[in-house]
Amino acid sequence: MEQVIKILFSPTAFAVGFLWPLVAQTLIATNTIGTGWQVWMIAALIVTPFAASAQLRGSWIWIR
Amino acid sequence: MDQVADQTVTLENWDELTDDQLDVLERKIAAKYIHIVPWGAVAWGIGNTLLWLSLWPLVLLDILPLWLGFIIATFNCALAYLPSHEAQHSIIAGKGKPLRWLNELVGHVSLIPFSAPFRVARATHMAHHRHTNDPVLDVDYDTTARNGWHFLYKSILRRQPGSKSKEAYPAALARTEQSHLMLDILIVNIFYLAVLFGMAWTGHAIEAALLWWLPKNISIVYVEHYLSWMPHHPGKETSRYRDTRAFKSKLGNIGSMGMQYHIIHHLFPRIPLSQHPAVYREMKPILQRKGCDLGEL
Repeated sequence: MEQVIKILFSPTAFAVGFLWPLVAQTLIATNTIGTGWQVWMIAALIVTPFAASAQLRGSWIWIR
Repeated sequence: MDQVADQTVTLENWDELTDDQLDVLERKIAAKYIHIVPWGAVAWGIGNTLLWLSLWPLVLLDILPLWLGFIIATFNCALAYLPSHEAQHSIIAGKGKPLRWLNELVGHVSLIPFSAPFRVARATHMAHHRHTNDPVLDVDYDTTARNGWHFLYKSILRRQPGSKSKEAYPAALARTEQSHLMLDILIVNIFYLAVLFGMAWTGHAIEAALLWWLPKNISIVYVEHYLSWMPHHPGKETSRYRDTRAFKSKLGNIGSMGMQYHIIHHLFPRIPLSQHPAVYREMKPILQRKGCDLGEL
């Protein structure tokens, strides 16, 4: 149970559950990129460094 | 002493009074304001949350533009904490009083936009009052900062996943044998994340971000700035009359959510927020005699 809670509240879960679709939908809404798998790939590329920093270093913005 | 207590502190001879006489006068002034039910805070707390909840269907049904929803939601989140703060101090109704249920209802409901658990807020806030400016025991001590920019910098760092300041609240709950309230934190945060994740993966991530996630994070900075940092700056003293100060806000009393007079709250936590300016005006000569930092107020 503790492990499930840790995963749920992890930066990775937040990135996958919220930030990834947020960035993808923002790219679409601002007509930066059309719909399709490409937008999800680019959104993932944008979110991944922040998520990795948050998960591994404990900060979304590197500094802590 | 009774004669002194019946006089007002605007007497010409007030500075001749002893410390004990000043204490009597101080309590006498406070007593006049303590048992006032803050109906404004009740309406504010419940109305603010209802308004915020109404934004969701209004925006999702395209009745209200998202940009306007974002602005209103930001105000809603910023205004969510203080009615609960009144309830945390049982100002609406104490234990055993007929309106106790309303006190607890306002406490819980008003914090919904802030996605914070009321019972935890109450328990940890009491720790803040008991140990104001104590580097170890004051749960809000980490908001101390050299200046406004330093405060903002620290506020951003506090929100990072690895921030040590996140440990202050669970530690305070453990110290006061209320660790069972961690379940409240869990429930509220699971609900918050479920809404964000659910909205995001059903194509409404931008709405979720602009109606809750961003307003909440902006509001945390604003609330911590005026409720924690400004009134306790520089955060170095722990005595009754020096752990909190009065200050003149650039945004005025309303723009600072009444926190210019936060010193009154720390001296007498059961006085409603709406009464603080009146109490301050009446009590000011005493506070000056007691060596309080009253700034330019």
